[in-house]
Amino acid sequence: MTITLTINGKARGVDAAAGETLLEVLRREGFVGVKSGCESGDCGACAVLMNGRAVNSCLVLAATADGAEIVTVEGLADGDRLHPLQEAFLDEGAVQCGYCTPGMLISAADLLSRNPNPTDEEVREAISGNLCRCTGYTKQVSAIQQAAKRMRGGDDD
Amino acid sequence: MALHHVESVVHPATLEEAWAEKERRGKTARLVGGGIDVVLYSPSTVSTLIDLKALGLSRIRETATGIAIGATATMTEAIESPALKAYAGGFLVRVLREVASPLQRNLATIGGTIGSAHPWSDVIPALLVLDAKLAVYDGEERTIPLQAYLEGRRGEASPIICTIDLPSDSASSRGTLASFTRTGFDVALLNVACCGRVAGGTWEDVRIAIGGTPGLAARQGAAEDALIGNPATSGTIAAAANAAAGAIDARDDLRASAEYRRTLARVLVERCLTEIVSGTEGGAG
Amino acid sequence: MTERVDRRFEVVGRNERKVDGVGLVTGRPKFVEDVRSPDTLVVKILGSPHAHARIVSIDVSEAESLPGVHFVLTHENTPPTRHTTAGQGYPEPSPYDARAFDTKVRFVGDRVAAVAAETDAIADEALKRIRVTYEELPAILSIDAARADGASVVHDEPDATGIYDAARNIVADVDIDVGDVERGFQESDVVVETVCETQYAQHTPIEPHVVLAWLDSDDRIVLRTSTQVPFHVRRIVAYTLGIPMHRIRVIKPRIGGGFGTKQEVLLEDVAALVALRTGRPALVRLSRAEEFIAGRTRHPMRVRVKLGAKQDGRLHAIEMEAVSNTGAYGAHGLTVLANTGSKTLPLYNKAENAHFFGQAVYTNLPVPGAYRGYGATQGYFPLETAMDELAERLSIDPIELRRINHIRAGETSPIFEKLGEGREGVSQTVKSCELARCIDVGADRIGWAQKRGTRRTDGPRVHGVGMSIMMQGSGIPEIDMAAATIKMNEDGSFNLLIGATDLGTGSDTILGQMAAEVLGVPLAKMIVTSSDTDVTPFDVGAYASSTTYVSGTAVVRAAEKVRDQILDVAAPLLESSPEALSLADEGVVAPDGRRVGLDRVCQRAMYESDQFQIAATASFVPTESPPPFLANFAEVAVDTETGRVEVLHYVAAADCGVAIHPKLAEGQLEGSIINGIGYAMTEEMILSSRGRVRNPSLFDYKIPGALDLPKLEIVLVDSYEPTGPMGAKSIGEIGINGPIPTIANAIYDAVGIRLRETPFTPERVLAAIEAR
Repeated sequence: MTITLTINGKARGVDAAAGETLLEVLRREGFVGVKSGCESGDCGACAVLMNGRAVNSCLVLAATADGAEIVTVEGLADGDRLHPLQEAFLDEGAVQCGYCTPGMLISAADLLSRNPNPTDEEVREAISGNLCRCTGYTKQVSAIQQAAKRMRGGDDD
Repeated sequence: MALHHVESVVHPATLEEAWAEKERRGKTARLVGGGIDVVLYSPSTVSTLIDLKALGLSRIRETATGIAIGATATMTEAIESPALKAYAGGFLVRVLREVASPLQRNLATIGGTIGSAHPWSDVIPALLVLDAKLAVYDGEERTIPLQAYLEGRRGEASPIICTIDLPSDSASSRGTLASFTRTGFDVALLNVACCGRVAGGTWEDVRIAIGGTPGLAARQGAAEDALIGNPATSGTIAAAANAAAGAIDARDDLRASAEYRRTLARVLVERCLTEIVSGTEGGAG
Repeated sequence: MTERVDRRFEVVGRNERKVDGVGLVTGRPKFVEDVRSPDTLVVKILGSPHAHARIVSIDVSEAESLPGVHFVLTHENTPPTRHTTAGQGYPEPSPYDARAFDTKVRFVGDRVAAVAAETDAIADEALKRIRVTYEELPAILSIDAARADGASVVHDEPDATGIYDAARNIVADVDIDVGDVERGFQESDVVVETVCETQYAQHTPIEPHVVLAWLDSDDRIVLRTSTQVPFHVRRIVAYTLGIPMHRIRVIKPRIGGGFGTKQEVLLEDVAALVALRTGRPALVRLSRAEEFIAGRTRHPMRVRVKLGAKQDGRLHAIEMEAVSNTGAYGAHGLTVLANTGSKTLPLYNKAENAHFFGQAVYTNLPVPGAYRGYGATQGYFPLETAMDELAERLSIDPIELRRINHIRAGETSPIFEKLGEGREGVSQTVKSCELARCIDVGADRIGWAQKRGTRRTDGPRVHGVGMSIMMQGSGIPEIDMAAATIKMNEDGSFNLLIGATDLGTGSDTILGQMAAEVLGVPLAKMIVTSSDTDVTPFDVGAYASSTTYVSGTAVVRAAEKVRDQILDVAAPLLESSPEALSLADEGVVAPDGRRVGLDRVCQRAMYESDQFQIAATASFVPTESPPPFLANFAEVAVDTETGRVEVLHYVAAADCGVAIHPKLAEGQLEGSIINGIGYAMTEEMILSSRGRVRNPSLFDYKIPGALDLPKLEIVLVDSYEPTGPMGAKSIGEIGINGPIPTIANAIYDAVGIRLRETPFTPERVLAAIEAR
């Protein structure tokens, strides 16, 4: 079947088998930033924004996503300008192997789009479905807070 | 992973169409809410998926008799709904906040969660102690207690869930859930939901459900009856907790032993009931 | 550039953005699976349903007749060469007990056959149609069963080599001693003994094992693989398949975590065979379930420690006996066993008498391999809990007991020489040790004096604090070799070619920082290429905490050689002699202040006069393995009604020498500690009575998530290792050893129970409390 997905702002017709997941379809379409870690919703590496909400793309049937707006990690930057989250992850040492990073960034982007001034606990809650084995999460939490601060204008401390 | 055995996905526009598809295809069809359990647990005999999202069953609103949660409303939509914010002191919202991860809550539907009826579900015991009913459709519209739906699931012709109806007389109750997990992002080894009202130091109303035994959540009628009308003291609470723990069909599985589950049931019932009495509900695990 | 954290250096000591960072945060195609051509074949492996069985017959005809199936690999059509899958230096100290496909299966999930097909769906269908007849054999499902009289023999094949005693299922046997422990215990005033058991646990890298193999346009096999050991992969695949090594190229791109499980040649042989036989690219990937079942795990161990001390607290005798379950194959069996003693006992060098002995045994269970900590993790559990018990018996504060006994700078331990990586070790004197300071800082941050022994309650919870200290190593002395090549470009930039393997640890970045430091350029002018066996010089790979110390020294040496060449070229330009010149700010500076840019120097060498390529290669084999040190402190709250233990606060104070990149060093500690907390509290591979993994998923194998964090404090204390590049040692592994003993000791402080079995699940803790 053919479904229509708007991916990172561009609408396109996409071929998908009836039982395929959004993860498989996105990677086949070239969005390899969307990672496969478990294919069972347990690790969050596959997270994308679907209609503005972060979801496990391995749990979404492509056939039910017809017409959806999808944002992947490839769509976070604005051309050459990195998203404040991407900048902060780099500055804080929050990227080690980088495999969980796309999913983390997506979950964090969802959080900050709704809650521009989260507590540390709210940040941890937002990334609670993104497993990481390298970092111990500490620098990811501080990176997300750094980004939030920059996005707020950076002055309130 | 792709479901290789699925050949088609249909998107019925009305309940009649949806039910007709379901009847026609029997066991080869499966209803899809958020789709999580469809992706994870569909047997290879399923070849058609019936997507319910086009049926307009996502609204959450106050009604004359309480609150109606559309079956395809996501957990996140329920958490954010103004209607549920104050209901039973925000009990259901608190429960939903802890389920799975935000990624899954953005996808999972309340109706889908009930339809899957996982024994570890936190939502089902919470709805049981709220005395939730389901407006369902199976050729005709009916309203049935949640318990009846769960018991009837083993049969072939489970109806389509349209709304989850929360009664207005639970609105002023206090509710709390203790879900005992291994890590923060996990399913319960055992969970306990309690809802009730204490007036003048006496249990006016109390409801207890225990799930993950590892069986599906069920109300603990005997323990409830022993409390209602009686003083709300640590003694009656302890007795009720003992009774409830003794009544569950606890079994071993890879997550916990039967004996530990019985211990947990007693401790968590006691803690939940104590929270309700003291007005400090919000996480007893 | 980022702020200079360490003012001794220009580039080293800064928290530079990782050289591969931008591509990682923008999702560029950097991992094995991210770039593949449409004609790539899918390869799936059929795993054994039995823990121990002979394959009587395999009929692949039905499977091969499916449209889209190219062929099925079995023992009948693949090389029978016995080898080890362990990614270690040659000759590997692991038995050659594995075949690509064997006539016998030795654990549930062991390789039976592999299908090469056009799509996943076809491959899955083909797997179902392979007809196998098995003759089931008695299965060995525990250490004790392995060593019992008349036990079934896991490796009875005549062509296996390197097994200590195959008939008794003993892969390795180690026994070393110093002095006379028996007399030592008799002479001691107090003796304590404890036996601890650790469980099957798994690394769970978020990216599973995956390899893409293809034939390039010269018909050489290229393996792009998620590995920690590209050079060992090349050698072992060549050997296993009987292909000349020069026909194989191994490339490690970005990989999604390793932690030891990718110090193994797990899938590359199959991928190579499919590519060779079809001429098409082949992708082999473990699913998450297969990662649990057929990947690699931690070695479950039973370790007994006996300590004898004098009344003043000074240790007089230490005995450690370790029995290690090395699963169905012996990869890393000997070396992990030896490390259990070699990375623990030297810490307490005051004991004149020491004895380490033990065995690694085969079982018909999932296969352990290398896992961060590598035996030390299992050894510190009984050692550091026995120290706590000893402290209590002596009425000495546990911290004080450590202070009396731990090794110091200027000291040695006879264990260094007696016990290395499976053979004898190398004698060394510790040259940097800031453990005393680590202990001070940690004790202060956790509030030891205020909290220890107070058993503060809040509701049903009781609080306690515990501590532990440890050391590890930095590379394998006289065995590990690393090399680096640096060549100069005419814009004043350099290419740094290193075999060293960046798992996400950031080694590309820190090695780039070291080279940039020597050559006086910013990191951006150092272009790092790593882990390509055609292009980069040799490196053993990322294990044994070797990269910073061993690969780093090779990099510094190469940079110094290049520096010397630059100064030689620049000397006539500045009318000076090379000895008087120095490098700074992308130029060569003379004593009188005159300067010539590096670009100018390289242009001269490349185009103008006495032309030559400014470049050098340097190698390094370490003669010692300077230990990093760590002091861990934790506060826990134990719920006495449910048994749940919450780790509230965890402080790790570390001496890693100079931190080349402080945030990456902290990151190593943070990650390894959180992993260690999972290992201590919730992670457990649960095996059925038939040896099957019952929880091969992240749904039921619980690793810590963001909601499971204690307040975590990391302190890198000031230190300098004179033998280390820029003063660095290592930090990659040591953190994972801390949580088990630290938390166990804190639980004892809280509720007076001694836990000797991990993980410390609520059910286990509650049972221990009730049995008190």
